[in-house]
Amino acid sequence: MLERVDPIAMAEDRAQIKRLRLVSLVEATTLLVLVLIAVPLKHAFGYALATRIMGPVHGAAFVAYAWCVIATVSAGGWSRSEIARLSLGAFVPFGGFLNAGLLRRKQVELAADQPALP
Amino acid sequence: MIPYLVVKALHVACVLLFVGGLFSQAFAVAAGQRGDAGITALVSTWDRRVTVPAILAVWLTGAAIAAEGAWFASPWLWAKLTLVVALTGLHGIQSGRLRRLRRGDPPPAAMRASHTAAFIAASVTIIALLVVLKPF
Repeated sequence: MLERVDPIAMAEDRAQIKRLRLVSLVEATTLLVLVLIAVPLKHAFGYALATRIMGPVHGAAFVAYAWCVIATVSAGGWSRSEIARLSLGAFVPFGGFLNAGLLRRKQVELAADQPALP
Repeated sequence: MIPYLVVKALHVACVLLFVGGLFSQAFAVAAGQRGDAGITALVSTWDRRVTVPAILAVWLTGAAIAAEGAWFASPWLWAKLTLVVALTGLHGIQSGRLRRLRRGDPPPAAMRASHTAAFIAASVTIIALLVVLKPF
């Protein structure tokens, strides 16, 4: 085990959860656009371009979100139910928005636990 | 429009950086568990500045190449993607462990560096075979 706490690591923790909050909102938004706009446009009006664009955009956002969740929870400090909630949030429409409160709370907790860099 | 071969060259370069970053992380986690703070700090910085952007570029250029070649319907690509997803997940796990070690938290249950490195090497070998041979 390392003997001293690295202040840069603390700043990285704060940056990581901030990144997860942002990517979570992007992932949730692209899922809603795909499901509520692009898919109906394709099936109701035969406008397939919408899904051809939004499919890969949401795919990229999903991969980024999955990486962010893994990288964040692997650093510890998350309960199993919180991890399950973050994981399920990627598959359920509005899930990312429902998780916004949890992520904000965790960010506040982290900021309270760790002193800011001078 | 960027020429196909340029995108392909960028993809290969970023894959090399990604794989190099994965091996570095695996050995830095092992070094950190033995108390070497210098290596964990160095690899964390490299990871943030080089490996993470390389992973992003790997996914973007990979998607562009697969779309260009119309390979999304090919089973070999999905077999390859499964391994790439696993390697991306492994990178996330190791990033978290490095941050945890730098915080001075007790290290998580040990995943032997040699096993992790063997998994990375085997995955990369299978990926290379799938991409070059396109067997199915």
